[in-house]
Amino acid sequence: MAAAARPLVSVQPLPASLNDMVTDHVTTVALPDVMKASIRPDIVNFVHSNISKNSRQPYAVSKKAGHQTSAESWGTGRAVSRIPRVSGGGTHRAGQGAFGNMCRGGRMFAPTKTWRRWHRKVNVNQKRYAVVSAIAASSIPSLVMARGHRVESVPEMPLVISDSAESIEKTSTAIKVLKEIGAYPDAEKAKDSQAIRPGKGKMRNRRYISRKGPLIVYGTEGAKLVKAFRNIPGVDVANVERLNLLKLAPGGHLGRFVIWTKSAIEKLDSIYGSFEKCSEKKQGYVLPRSKMVNADLARIINSDEVQSVVKPIKKEIKRASLKKNPLKNLNVMLKLNPYAKTARRMALLAEAERVKSKKEKLDKKRKPVSKEELAAAKAAGKAWYKTMISDSDYTEFENFTKWLGVSQ
Amino acid sequence: MATVPGQLIWEMVKKNNSFLVKQFGRGTASLRFSKESNNLYNLNSYKHSGLANKKTVSIQAAGKDQAVVLATSKTKKQNKPAALFHKSVMKKEFRRMAKAVENQVEGNYYRPDLKKAALARLSAVHRSLKVAKSGVKKSKRQALKIRV
Repeated sequence: MAAAARPLVSVQPLPASLNDMVTDHVTTVALPDVMKASIRPDIVNFVHSNISKNSRQPYAVSKKAGHQTSAESWGTGRAVSRIPRVSGGGTHRAGQGAFGNMCRGGRMFAPTKTWRRWHRKVNVNQKRYAVVSAIAASSIPSLVMARGHRVESVPEMPLVISDSAESIEKTSTAIKVLKEIGAYPDAEKAKDSQAIRPGKGKMRNRRYISRKGPLIVYGTEGAKLVKAFRNIPGVDVANVERLNLLKLAPGGHLGRFVIWTKSAIEKLDSIYGSFEKCSEKKQGYVLPRSKMVNADLARIINSDEVQSVVKPIKKEIKRASLKKNPLKNLNVMLKLNPYAKTARRMALLAEAERVKSKKEKLDKKRKPVSKEELAAAKAAGKAWYKTMISDSDYTEFENFTKWLGVSQ
Repeated sequence: MATVPGQLIWEMVKKNNSFLVKQFGRGTASLRFSKESNNLYNLNSYKHSGLANKKTVSIQAAGKDQAVVLATSKTKKQNKPAALFHKSVMKKEFRRMAKAVENQVEGNYYRPDLKKAALARLSAVHRSLKVAKSGVKKSKRQALKIRV
């Protein structure tokens, strides 16, 4: 279920000059499963914003404020507004408005009450999820750097130092240790960043601000290192059994730089369990499952299993072609209706025929008629006249002989 | 450490990280820059990000003049920040340096998509070093100052 076999984290040894104990040679610890848990900035943000409300102290306005007058409204008819006014006389205060949020010296709108819901309840499982996420995020250098810690010279993430650190008593040795393991730049950053807070917080007991440095997590109860490290600016100390989300993800942002001692890291497994095994300290608690066990999209996409089933890339892009009108464009018409070609050809030929024959006719008509044809046409006309007369019945009547002219 | 994949880290880091610079661009600071050292364009984007990628390239000016540091990150040492970078100081003439950069970035298929960015940054850094060395020159065409 866990993504891979548990890799080993080497424990940074502390130089023997700092303490009398024998330095252990470089040992390794298996990475606890907590560090592989899914990282959920949304959950961490939610839980953090709710948890940080829990240490608030109530504030409220005095409940009597603005009401310690016996003001009454003057009513209408006195050319003043109808706001209740302070009764009596002989002082500036007499006749001034009272009681309203708009009045000078009146009470505010919706006076703040102490019974406002200051604290928030968060589900235990969500709180645990958030802590687990924060621990996991602290082991990824990118996230820790993104949060702003100077970890470029840290030899390994997560940073584990040997247990001999737990018995450090002097702050000066503590600083030396930090320098040895490459954590000093971060602490230095915190020290350099101490400044006076801008704004009114200055006069409200929040005068100084600074960045956060490394968080040292130790395993054994009552370790001396608490006193040694706590005075270094920016450095926080915590026991593994009592890890605080507000320290692991300050500001709701994942990725605090955490320095573990060897016993602390070894305890993590028993405190949080693994993905399958229940935790020993938290009853019935199992590490949260991630939605995707292997979230490396690039590798999944390029893997053999996927690539062997995937169609090849379409390199040529089919673009929408311009629509052409088939009624105007012959080729497009032909694509739609091949017969159109012959039809059009026939039409053209027929048209040519028609034009030709009409032309011939007209030409013939326009051509001046020759004398023989003219004579022939006239003779034909006369002959026809004659036949018409002889055919008709009018020749029998004598009256008509005069204008019928040539008869028989 | 199971390498949390770059996509995941990018999703978490893109909106909010200590290197993010949201200053210029009209309106609501729409240009996002990134101050990480191994970001070639200094742009806050997945491709260029030094945080979200396993293989990154960085080109910075080294302390001595005219020297440029080319650093590539090693893929196998992701969780050892001290040993993460493969640094090499280059002090050759520009063409040779460009060739070296190109080989490192594209020649051995390290990050071929960053080749142009790397070369561009090299030129920019190199030029700035030259200017720093010879002092910022005032243009001869500077407008006449009107003295009262």
